Amino acid sequence: MAAARRLKRVVASQPGFLNFKSSSESLSGRRKRVNKNKKKSWNKHSDINDVEEFLEDVRLQERTTGKGKTPRPLRIDLILQQDSLIPAPKDVLAYQQPNAKKLRRISQKAEQLAAKGVVTRRQKRLLSRRPVTKEAKKSDTEANNNPNRDYYDIWGQEPEDWYLQQTGKKRVKRPEKLSDRPSVLPAVEVIAPGGSYNPDFFSHQALLKEAHEVEVKKQKEEDKLERQLAVNKDDTATEETVIREQVEGLVEEEEEEEDEEEAAHDEEDEDAEGGSSLAKKKTERQRKREKADKIKELRRLDSKRQMDHRQQLFQLRSIKASIKQQEQSTEDKQKIRKANQEAEKSQPRRLGKLKFQAQDLEVQLSDELAGSLRQLKPEGSVLKDRFKSLQKRNLIEPRERAKFKRRHKLKYVEKRAFRAIT
Amino acid sequence: MGGLQKKKYERGSVTNYITRNKARKKLRLSLPDFRRLCILKGIYPHEPKHKKKVNKGSTAPRTFYLIKDIRFLLHEPIVGKFRDYKVFVRKLKKAYGKTEWSAVERLRENKPTYKLDHIIKERYPSFIDALRDIDDALCMCFLFSTFARTGKCHVQTIQLCRRLTVEWMNYVVAARALRKVFISIKGIYYQAEVMGQLITWLVPYQFSHDHPTDVDYRVMATFTELYTTLLGFINFRLYHSLNLLYPPKLDSKAECELKEENEEDYALNSECYLEKLSALSASLARMVSSAEEEEAQLDQFPVEGEDMEKLEAREREQKEQEAQKKLFDGLKFFLNREVPRESLAFIIRCFGGEVSWDKSVCIGSTYEVTEETITHHIVDRPNASTQYINRYYIQPQWVYDCINAKIVLPVEDYFLGVTLPPHLSPFVEEKEGDYMPPEKVKIMALQRGEKPAQEQEDEEEEDEDEDEEEEEDDNDDEEEDEEEDEEESEEKNLKKMEKQRSQGKSLQVKVTPGKMKVENPERLEQEEKAEEKRLAIMMMKKKEKYLYDKIMFGKKRKIREVCFILLLIIDSHVDKTVCEAP
Repeated sequence: MAAARRLKRVVASQPGFLNFKSSSESLSGRRKRVNKNKKKSWNKHSDINDVEEFLEDVRLQERTTGKGKTPRPLRIDLILQQDSLIPAPKDVLAYQQPNAKKLRRISQKAEQLAAKGVVTRRQKRLLSRRPVTKEAKKSDTEANNNPNRDYYDIWGQEPEDWYLQQTGKKRVKRPEKLSDRPSVLPAVEVIAPGGSYNPDFFSHQALLKEAHEVEVKKQKEEDKLERQLAVNKDDTATEETVIREQVEGLVEEEEEEEDEEEAAHDEEDEDAEGGSSLAKKKTERQRKREKADKIKELRRLDSKRQMDHRQQLFQLRSIKASIKQQEQSTEDKQKIRKANQEAEKSQPRRLGKLKFQAQDLEVQLSDELAGSLRQLKPEGSVLKDRFKSLQKRNLIEPRERAKFKRRHKLKYVEKRAFRAIT
Repeated sequence: MGGLQKKKYERGSVTNYITRNKARKKLRLSLPDFRRLCILKGIYPHEPKHKKKVNKGSTAPRTFYLIKDIRFLLHEPIVGKFRDYKVFVRKLKKAYGKTEWSAVERLRENKPTYKLDHIIKERYPSFIDALRDIDDALCMCFLFSTFARTGKCHVQTIQLCRRLTVEWMNYVVAARALRKVFISIKGIYYQAEVMGQLITWLVPYQFSHDHPTDVDYRVMATFTELYTTLLGFINFRLYHSLNLLYPPKLDSKAECELKEENEEDYALNSECYLEKLSALSASLARMVSSAEEEEAQLDQFPVEGEDMEKLEAREREQKEQEAQKKLFDGLKFFLNREVPRESLAFIIRCFGGEVSWDKSVCIGSTYEVTEETITHHIVDRPNASTQYINRYYIQPQWVYDCINAKIVLPVEDYFLGVTLPPHLSPFVEEKEGDYMPPEKVKIMALQRGEKPAQEQEDEEEEDEDEDEEEEEDDNDDEEEDEEEDEEESEEKNLKKMEKQRSQGKSLQVKVTPGKMKVENPERLEQEEKAEEKRLAIMMMKKKEKYLYDKIMFGKKRKIREVCFILLLIIDSHVDKTVCEAP
């Protein structure tokens, strides 16, 4: 990074290099003062795009022409070239190095050591410090979905006590109920033979029939709803009926009303008289009579019961038959209930707000059937099929796509321009 | 009085269940995290028997989990990882917001990750348990490997799924475990037998993608995460059981054959190896490289309580299986461009055949079109361009039908331009009285070793085919037409049979001593019962009789159809015996 910065500085210091940014900044003047003496803030507030563009350009030139074509030499450079045939005197001082011998000796020694294969301590430290290869991101290699991850024998022999020894704790036991499958359905249900790409006639018809029945059912339900909501045309209000309703009881029926009122009055009077008779006390006679009636009633019932008992002897056969019938019916009901329970097990359970919606049967109509594998057009989506299968087997609850709900209602405001018009 | 009264909803089934939101709060996780955790650990919601009781009197639909399961979840270490991830996301958002890119880089490099190995070990304590659940895993992995590599789901997951599916297919090829294949309109179903377990999986077609919007991708991605881990471990174990190297390496001999000059044309260097493996055209390297050992004859240990019949039956089954594994041994196939290459290469190699394709289609082709030892060339066009003499040009359905029929079928029905016979499902087990399609009857006859169809049979079948084609057009009168045609052909058959019998057999008239007729008491009983039944039918009321007639009509029709088909078989037998006799 230091080298890049140095290069940028060198390029920026080229005589022909226009620094646009500096000029624009000096012209505009008023700009927020930022401190660029720390790395973070320098990274944030400096714009090196122009430099990058230039470098990119140079690189492109190099790539396309093969050799690094330098841009057309500057006029000043041409002027400063040396045209004279006499070479300039060699500047001895420039070539002098005070410790040349020392350096030569060191390099020779290093070569000898390298030839022998000895690595000095210093070199070792340098080599160990420098990371030559860029490591792959730790997060990528340790992630669970790394495509080059290693697998090992997870079911190999592992001593159970190792965990106990190391940590002094026992592992938490997994509840046994969790090992039960939530559904008896198999994981992959193969489609009926009519779903083959080149099906046999009868099985295809059978599959079409199934799909047809589903459609018929749906249609029936829709029809039922329509019927329930249907309105008889005769019942709709016409103007006549409306007027009649409004006028009802107002104009011609006053006489009838009066008669009705009188009748109502009479009834009330009678009720009033009947009410007064209830206040009288019961006489002795009446009480005795009531008692005698009660006893008679009891005796009657008793004799009836005895008669029934006696007759039941003769009715044994029919009683047996009726008992048998009852038992039979209870048995049948039990069987049906058990069968229902068994069927329930293979049904998806209701696990949440939404009910399970079975997906449509995948079937191709007779004219959609392809004659060859090349012309086959696939039906249905395996992704959706797997999703529904997971719901069917009670592994997840049925879910719907989440709708976008606004937290606050939108306010609509007219623009000023419109307000002026309307 | 006071506190000794029992309060409602404090004991019984209420104490076993907990609602989803309460569980989430107990674990202090967000809802998507909670869902993911449940999926990974295998914890499913339960529907209680008496919802009203558990829901404390209300009938609002709620999701319930067992309290024991949730308490078990509290001990799970990856819950901590989820919380760390939440913190990571928060820090990342802050760094993004402040545009501190170096902080973003640093955080990204130290992203918290988790591994699911201990969960696999806990959920599937033994290898066989894991094998039982592998159906789902395979389907998901195959599905994800067909996804496009846009950024929607992690590209790494898709790559991992592809790698695992290729490894699994290579294992099945090496173990010759494939048993059934079925091409359906949804995708291709395969069934293999691995260590005694029957495993069925579905592979979608490569070219079918319309991503439906009402599928929850996060849930599917979580399932895939779990299943990729599971499948990887299973692959490892399976490869070791077959003594193969894992991660799989191509056999050194095969690798030399596959070495080509322009490998860069096919794939990047990093992906080249995976692509070669996925071509499935070469065999895998073994751990201890030895020459192929001869299969030692296993000793026959009779199981206790088994008689000779069962032993023989088992032996026969084993022999059949061995024969089936070598179905395409010695046959060389060449695939044309328009056929589904991966599926066909997989199944051909599973049964011992050699397969190749055009060089420009995919990496890994072993021989060219011009090779003379090719026995079958698989084409799907109406006509082939250049015809080589000593090879059959057939449509791809032949391969699939051969596998399902477990024998090498005659090639004539599958030539180019011929109307193919229907592709029957091998997953259908037909019982005694059910309808069996005529093709299946033919195949069973071939399996039993009878000669291929003769002319008369062909004629009759052509009649049938024509009838069927006609019927497909009119949907209304199909049943009536069918019956009429069947009756006609039945009559024809009977006439033919009579003629043949009269020609072939000669009457044998002889006087023989009389035989005593033994009265079978069982037969008498049966006759009595039949009489009683008839009487009961006569005494039924009109309404009941009507219903009874309807039921019997349906049953009789079924039986008649079956009889008709059986008649056909008998007819073929008779034809043969008659023709062979003189």
